Amino acid sequence: MPRALFWKDFIRLVNSEICMKTLVALPERCTGCQRCVLACSYAHAQSFSPSKSRIWVVRAKRRIDYPIFCNQCGLCVGACPAGALSRDAKTGAVVVDEEKCVGCGFCVRACPWGLIVLDSETGKAIKCDLCGGDPACVKECPEAALLFVDLNEAASAKRSLLVRLLGE
Amino acid sequence: MEEWYGYAGRILRVDLSRGKIASEPLDREAARNYLGGTGYAAKLMWDELRPGVDPLSPDNLLIFATGPLTGTPFPVSGSYDLVFKSPLTGIWGEARSGGFFGPRLKFAGYDFLVVSGRAEKPVYLWIRDGEAEIRDASHLWGRGTHETARMILEEEALRDVSVACIGPAGERLVRFAAVVEENDRVAGRCGGGAVMGSKNLKAVAVSGMGEIKVAKPREFEKALDEVREAAYNFKKATVFAEYGTPGIVEPLNEAGAFPTRNFQTCYFEKAHEIGGEALVKRYLIKRRACFACLIGCGRHTEVRLGPYPAPAHEGPEYETIDMFGGQLLIDDLAAIVRANYLCNDYGLDTISTGNVIAFAVEAYERGLIPEELRGGLTLRWGDPATLFELIEAIAFKRADLGELLAEGVRRASAKLGGGAREIAVHVKGLETPAHDPRGTSRAFAIQYAVGNRGGCHTHPNWTGLWDFGKLDAGLKPHGLPWPPISRFDEKEVEKRAKAVKLFALHGLCAEILGFCRFFVENNEGACATPRILANFTSALTGFDIDEFELMRISERVFNLQRCFNVREGVRRKDDALPKRFFEPVKSGPTKGQYVKNFDGLLEAFYREAGWDPETGVPTKAKLKELGLEYVADQIPAP
Repeated sequence: MPRALFWKDFIRLVNSEICMKTLVALPERCTGCQRCVLACSYAHAQSFSPSKSRIWVVRAKRRIDYPIFCNQCGLCVGACPAGALSRDAKTGAVVVDEEKCVGCGFCVRACPWGLIVLDSETGKAIKCDLCGGDPACVKECPEAALLFVDLNEAASAKRSLLVRLLGE
Repeated sequence: MEEWYGYAGRILRVDLSRGKIASEPLDREAARNYLGGTGYAAKLMWDELRPGVDPLSPDNLLIFATGPLTGTPFPVSGSYDLVFKSPLTGIWGEARSGGFFGPRLKFAGYDFLVVSGRAEKPVYLWIRDGEAEIRDASHLWGRGTHETARMILEEEALRDVSVACIGPAGERLVRFAAVVEENDRVAGRCGGGAVMGSKNLKAVAVSGMGEIKVAKPREFEKALDEVREAAYNFKKATVFAEYGTPGIVEPLNEAGAFPTRNFQTCYFEKAHEIGGEALVKRYLIKRRACFACLIGCGRHTEVRLGPYPAPAHEGPEYETIDMFGGQLLIDDLAAIVRANYLCNDYGLDTISTGNVIAFAVEAYERGLIPEELRGGLTLRWGDPATLFELIEAIAFKRADLGELLAEGVRRASAKLGGGAREIAVHVKGLETPAHDPRGTSRAFAIQYAVGNRGGCHTHPNWTGLWDFGKLDAGLKPHGLPWPPISRFDEKEVEKRAKAVKLFALHGLCAEILGFCRFFVENNEGACATPRILANFTSALTGFDIDEFELMRISERVFNLQRCFNVREGVRRKDDALPKRFFEPVKSGPTKGQYVKNFDGLLEAFYREAGWDPETGVPTKAKLKELGLEYVADQIPAP
């Protein structure tokens, strides 16, 4: 289960400016170019590699090119035996503490969508951290298929997403 | 191990005869002198391919080449070039494809894949992250490219894989067979598919998770910002994002530059029926892009209803629409989309296929095809049934006519004899595409004649950009004459030769650096100018290259490829245009135009290029200037 906010987190929340935006994708707009993958890789590893990216683009038949990334649900937080995963109070992103991560991969097992993986070099967990509130992928997307938008707008897009995908 | 920036740093070599796989590091000096792509591959071909080798023999090499920019966020970096000796032309053969194969090859750890030999039975090559194996492909042999790719992708469902494969045409050694990627991206020209077929190599599947490093991050980020802005300006300035390459069908037709009826004219009354707007309105599912491309010209297309259905695939490009539409007088766009789908599935180059079919229809009309060859077929202009029958006949070498046309228009016309040669439109055996020296620009008279792979619109560049397009491409600092002359001018030959050479060398940069050539086609500020390319390449690779050095490398490669052809016997007599371009255009806005001063144009180019005017062989002085002394020793003196 997702870990509840601790009191100290709450104090931090109140004291910091909470980012009221989140990441959302519109697969109809995506052309499948993978510029987001390159931007993500460079933002986190200063090199270009599919294995350093925290975002993936899945191309399916006919109409779907779908950028997939962690939706910060926090299932992995409860799975981590090392306490390496926590929720960033400012962005709401679940972030990895590299010092604490032991590379056991329990988080990878826990994630139903395959959105947290182990780095092939360090063996530690890597996942979307929303770039601290300014996602590199969104800036690089040439089609506005990736958006960093107000929470309620994102919720609206998410509600119709499943229905649209099923409609294919 | 040495660090490589921009490059993966290794070459994978596969000898199919011995079943041997090996890899070796890239040569740093060669990388510095030739960069990558068709440049580095030209050096490999020069050093390793014995002159006079039969292109369909095991001795021919097949090189899958990427460049340093491939797989980076350079805005159009999803690219690979196939390099080989062409079975169609007998000289330098290359074909470029977009898609994802090139970047994945690099992420798998290899800049180049060099295939030699011939497997005893059908095989495919599986490459992943520094490993490779030769696998049995008997279950794939005989299948179309779509099914082949799908079956391999299903076998490797746990990874992101790209597949470059051949269809029945490549297996049957059709001389203009293509290599097709899983997203209908095609390395079409010069018959690379037949070379693959001759090696019993059905497919190459590649998956990579490795990384490409950056030499100078701060400079790189600046260079990336600059090139990204130029790419967005390019996107705004052109029709490619909205209508794809078919978006130029109507503008070119209105300019009298839309080759029609086997190049008899340059104007097609029904062009609006088969243009980019019609395609978007009727059959487009969505735009799809190659790797890292922010333009996204790909037309994911489907025809659901009617007599000519076509499953969802990346639909026809401008060239295909002209070669199947205008050239054959077919005004039914669905038929063209279906023909495109079939050619992709069988693995045929749509340009050569369209050209050779148009030739066949005209030859039939003139009574040049004997009764026994026809096999009961009636060939007609404007008839989709003719198109489909001949595509199948060619792909499967069915009946005598299919077998004849599968040899390409040069061999087919020679076999038919009696005036057939005069209606065969090719240069050095490569069927000319949908641009015409008479209707489009006289620049193509030079480009078609001297292009290293024969009559081609895109290798090394679309040189009509200067006078037809009124675009500078950032070449003014290199001495580009400005303003441009009239596109029909044949008097100011010096200016024209200078412009053709500069645009050619600029276009070649795309092949050498490993990105899509479209992005060199615009004005300063809206395209990949030599300055932008040099900055980006320097920051990425750590090589210190300025724009003039880059153009010099390009000229070195251009001349090395030329010398490859000279070594195979090419001389001035081969730099010739087909008879048709000396006959007046029959209708439309460019009616009456024809090439009048071809020798003047060609000689001006030779002078500009530093080639001997009598023989067309690069002079010793030129080769020395370019650091190609070792080449000069191996070709006959001019």
